[in-house]
Amino acid sequence: MHPLRGRRSVVKALVLAYPLVSGALLLSPAQARERKLPLAVLDVEEAADLEAVIEALVPGSAEAGAVHFIDYQLARPAIDSLLMLRYLGVPQPHVNFYRSGLAALAQHAIARYGKRPSQLPAPVLDQLITDLITDDTPDWAGPPASFLYFVWRSDGVDVTYGTEDGMAALDTPYMAHIRPEKLW
Amino acid sequence: MVTVRDKVDLLVVGSGAAGSVFAAEASAAGKQVLVLEAGPARTPKDLVSSQLWARRHKWGGAHVEEEGDHRVGHNFNAGWGTGGSTMHHYGVWPRLHENDFHTFTEHGQGLDWPFQYAELRPYYDRIQDAIGLSGDATQERWRPPGAAYSMPPVPVFGQGRLLAEGFSRLEMHTAPLPLAINTIPYRGRPACLYDGWCDAGCPIGALGNAQTVFLAQAVKSGAVIRHEATVTRLLTSANGRRIEGVEYHSADGVLHRQYAEVVVLAAFTVQNARLLLASANSHHPQGLANHSGLVGRYLMTHPTVSLYGMFEAETQPGLGPTGGQLINQDGYDNKRAVKDAYGSFQWIIANAVKPNGLLGIANNRADIYGPQLKPFLQRAVNHLGVMTLVAEDLALPENRVELSSNRDAFGVPLARAVHNLAKPSAALVVHALEQGRAVFDAAGAREQWRGPQAGMHILGGTVMGVDPAKSVTNSYGQSHEIDNLYIAGPGLFPGSGAVNPTFTIHALALRAAEHLLRHWP
Repeated sequence: MHPLRGRRSVVKALVLAYPLVSGALLLSPAQARERKLPLAVLDVEEAADLEAVIEALVPGSAEAGAVHFIDYQLARPAIDSLLMLRYLGVPQPHVNFYRSGLAALAQHAIARYGKRPSQLPAPVLDQLITDLITDDTPDWAGPPASFLYFVWRSDGVDVTYGTEDGMAALDTPYMAHIRPEKLW
Repeated sequence: MVTVRDKVDLLVVGSGAAGSVFAAEASAAGKQVLVLEAGPARTPKDLVSSQLWARRHKWGGAHVEEEGDHRVGHNFNAGWGTGGSTMHHYGVWPRLHENDFHTFTEHGQGLDWPFQYAELRPYYDRIQDAIGLSGDATQERWRPPGAAYSMPPVPVFGQGRLLAEGFSRLEMHTAPLPLAINTIPYRGRPACLYDGWCDAGCPIGALGNAQTVFLAQAVKSGAVIRHEATVTRLLTSANGRRIEGVEYHSADGVLHRQYAEVVVLAAFTVQNARLLLASANSHHPQGLANHSGLVGRYLMTHPTVSLYGMFEAETQPGLGPTGGQLINQDGYDNKRAVKDAYGSFQWIIANAVKPNGLLGIANNRADIYGPQLKPFLQRAVNHLGVMTLVAEDLALPENRVELSSNRDAFGVPLARAVHNLAKPSAALVVHALEQGRAVFDAAGAREQWRGPQAGMHILGGTVMGVDPAKSVTNSYGQSHEIDNLYIAGPGLFPGSGAVNPTFTIHALALRAAEHLLRHWP
């Protein structure tokens, strides 16, 4: 046991539902992905591209349900969003940011590499990420590519390492006063 | 349709640091007090230990447009809900120094405050006693006169010990960071557990903030807090000489008119200026309290950069207060120490960090991705050291809050915050970062890097002063033009200094609230 853990007063957390189906199903993002539950905002191609890029940025984020997490946050009232984007001065609704970014990403990938991001082999996907980081994206029509890289990478880190399970995977204690619900 | 509410004695717009002090003082004096808070009600059980959940405590109101080469970072700095930004503040409470109060007289830079440090000192001392501060005044060789701290300092964990050694090897000094965080039980609130979750809010009440201290006192004395009440306009009397109340929208969209004997505008820097400007009428065509034309002007933010290093030894970077464990202000009192630069700076040392979040471990090396990311995080959660620069910003009239041509859902023009960094301030940051790198080298860091430069805290925009032609309010935050309108918060600051502002906000509010009660208009 961590030396400080014994002093901690753990208070039962509020339960947050993940109301993908009829408001009754409580799932983590990973469970939602595993069950292939439908997304509320992103379409199939957007989701596939987003998952491919975030997984390349943060390995493990696909299995952790990053796309389901993002989709759920985009579907919520803006003031309840848990996305880091709410810090960063981007106007609501944030779905516009993600959607225009994904459209620009797909256009760039097709123009330069002949396929959508979700269809690219790993080495080419890595080159696509380098394009984002360096803003080497001619005719780019979305939010700045390097900013998208930063936001998507952060989203992936949130879902993969910003949880009790994620910190356990890093062998570091979480030490909650109030434990976050695993069910988002 | 407009719902007209019963008149109250004191109407406070905003439930944060400044508004909570006004509410507590006035309600204790028998005044009928109403606090309008734009955000939702928050209780300790809402303060979930998570960098994700913490985001609900950041600004959730009307979008703020930002421009300039050094933006103020409104949404990260502003709060949303009971207690405003105190809910997610880190409790770093140093005092301004004596030379922060007369920068124009001494250096021809910025603006003078309308009083000296000695005037504010007793209010610092009283707030310190009410909230409870931990620290060690004897080790703060740079500290201005003041009462000894209420509690012993927070413990120093691995990274703090290493970085302190680095300062020491350069013949520089560190002292325990003065914090509004209990190290022992104090006035019914428990001691901190040093878990590094300050950013998510402190559900046990060890960190002194509006909810745990002054709002609680206010409610106990009969004050009412009305949440999800978005103020959209300040109302003046027919002749424009008095403020009569405000219009606000409740969560159900209903427009209300709330009248009051006195209004305190404590909605934080940007929204205060926005509301004054957006409340223009025939008697106040430039906006309320704005005959000087200075509402919105002299917007400031502390330039900040975090430095990071990886150490061979264990550093325990997840433990301790998010705000840090130690402080260095060695060069603070010489604002002209560096050629072509101007201002003071401080280091807050050994901040607790978590893997994710804007200031988290992963984002401080945003260049690492893919298979290299997890090994980096695994190393960093045990071996990272952090310290954060807080530098002085110059009060410049061209840095401003103004109204946008875009409007919010209620039809009120959005705020546009324009902020560029002056060359002397930029030069100061460059100098400070060189010093910081030397500290990490001296501390034995195997590798080191820096985070992005950003704005920490938002100040100015409704500056106080002696001359009505050169300021928005008098030294109490009372409008020069409308006697029963008080403005509160860091927007009053004529200068930024280089210290975290929340302690000073409280001290100013206490001084102003007592003035208001002595001279009830």
